[in-house]
Amino acid sequence: MLNGGINLHIPDGFIPIAQCLVYYVILIVALYFSVKWARSNLDEKRIPLLAVLAAGIFAIMSMNMPIPFGTSGHMVGGALVAIVFLAPEAAVLVFTVVLLIQALIFGDGGITALGANVLNMAIIGGFVGLYTFKGLNGTIGKYPAAGIAAWLATVIAALACAIEMGIAGTFPMNIGIPSMVLYHFFIGIIEAVLTVIVLAALDKFRPDLLAWNAGDA
Amino acid sequence: MVDITQIMRFDDLASKNSPIHNLEGRIKLISTVFIILVCVVSKELFIPIVLEIFLLIVLKLATLSYWDSAKRLLMLLPFGGAIIIFQPFIQPGNIIWSYSWLHITDFGLNWAILLLVRMIVSLTAIIIYSSTTPLQEMASSFRKLKMPRDLAMILSIMVRFLFLFVDELAAIRKSQKSRNFSIHGKNTPYKWRVKQVGYTIGMMFLKAYEQGERVHKSMVSRGFSDASEMFDEKKSPERSDYIFLLTIIIIVIVLEIIIFKYAGQLGYFGQNLAIN
Repeated sequence: MLNGGINLHIPDGFIPIAQCLVYYVILIVALYFSVKWARSNLDEKRIPLLAVLAAGIFAIMSMNMPIPFGTSGHMVGGALVAIVFLAPEAAVLVFTVVLLIQALIFGDGGITALGANVLNMAIIGGFVGLYTFKGLNGTIGKYPAAGIAAWLATVIAALACAIEMGIAGTFPMNIGIPSMVLYHFFIGIIEAVLTVIVLAALDKFRPDLLAWNAGDA
Repeated sequence: MVDITQIMRFDDLASKNSPIHNLEGRIKLISTVFIILVCVVSKELFIPIVLEIFLLIVLKLATLSYWDSAKRLLMLLPFGGAIIIFQPFIQPGNIIWSYSWLHITDFGLNWAILLLVRMIVSLTAIIIYSSTTPLQEMASSFRKLKMPRDLAMILSIMVRFLFLFVDELAAIRKSQKSRNFSIHGKNTPYKWRVKQVGYTIGMMFLKAYEQGERVHKSMVSRGFSDASEMFDEKKSPERSDYIFLLTIIIIVIVLEIIIFKYAGQLGYFGQNLAIN
């Protein structure tokens, strides 16, 4: 069975090493700013909090959901984490460890491709998710905004993945972009619905956990 | 994605005793990454194939089952396999087979074979690594290799809680199953099923967050502060560790020399199959 998450988990060998290095540099810069953000915003609580959250996301990512057309996919949650903290940096920290462990234990996503995978799912996913949410929040309300943000984050992450594979020469962009975007157009709907349900649940049971309730949004 | 409940089984496997299990954590991590790196830069089949043979010997030394490892490999292949399978049809080159609008090119086919071999070797290396290294040892290897402190701590604590969440998820699934709930079941409306998955994820997220807060409180009450450091058992690599790593490096150097000097005589195995 095809799995929705796979196309975003680039394996080893698909991207030439020089390009992998570029993505690693991006990852290191992103991590630098993310650690700095965590230090100034989450105080000493940050480490256990992000760690346990990463373990939770790991479990969440393993829940496969059937998707129309006979395939299945799972939630990624990049936009969700970014919206909960109102910071893409949180997504970067959480997903770097999640993807590292996934690569080392399950071989899901490559070690050399880790930089590219974090770039797509956490950096691009987190930024697109958060800023789409912030942009739309005032006009259409927070839940529709979060839904659209999560959907767009999934589609743009897939687009980025297709572009990277195109640059790598592994998959021509003229085929890769339309197929990836179309496929994730549908996966994104599931991601959006799940993101909204989770946010609504959090808002109901632990509103203090959501950064938007702290008056930052 | 692979069933994460398997993570328990992997950790059991990793706690066994064998010459490979007993290697120092950092050595295993560096060797794994090194083999993957060599594979990723190889443009000929020769080096990855010899490395695969080497890894199969390591697998035997680690007393791992060939059959179980092959099954794991087969489970992982579809991840990149979907992309590989298209290669012969989409890459430009000389057409070697065609049927109406569909045709296979030699460059495409060669590239697909190279990608597949690279992937199999990388995954074999990962399977050996994860079957011989407990999660805690992985985390401590990263700490010893000077991963930035905050990230290393997040990794170490995450790894501890992974098992808890695997249990939690299994419990939730069991209770859903006992009420005849199935994510894939067609007896209930799709929308309703998505909603249930959403609630489950929300629950996991909340549990994760609250557990994180509790863990923090219990850590603080035991003296944890921003200046705390993780304790690492002082274990330096032994002679056997260096011999293992050195063997791999020597094999790779010899292989590179063979490719450099005698690529022409290796036939298809020495041919540059890469398109990038």
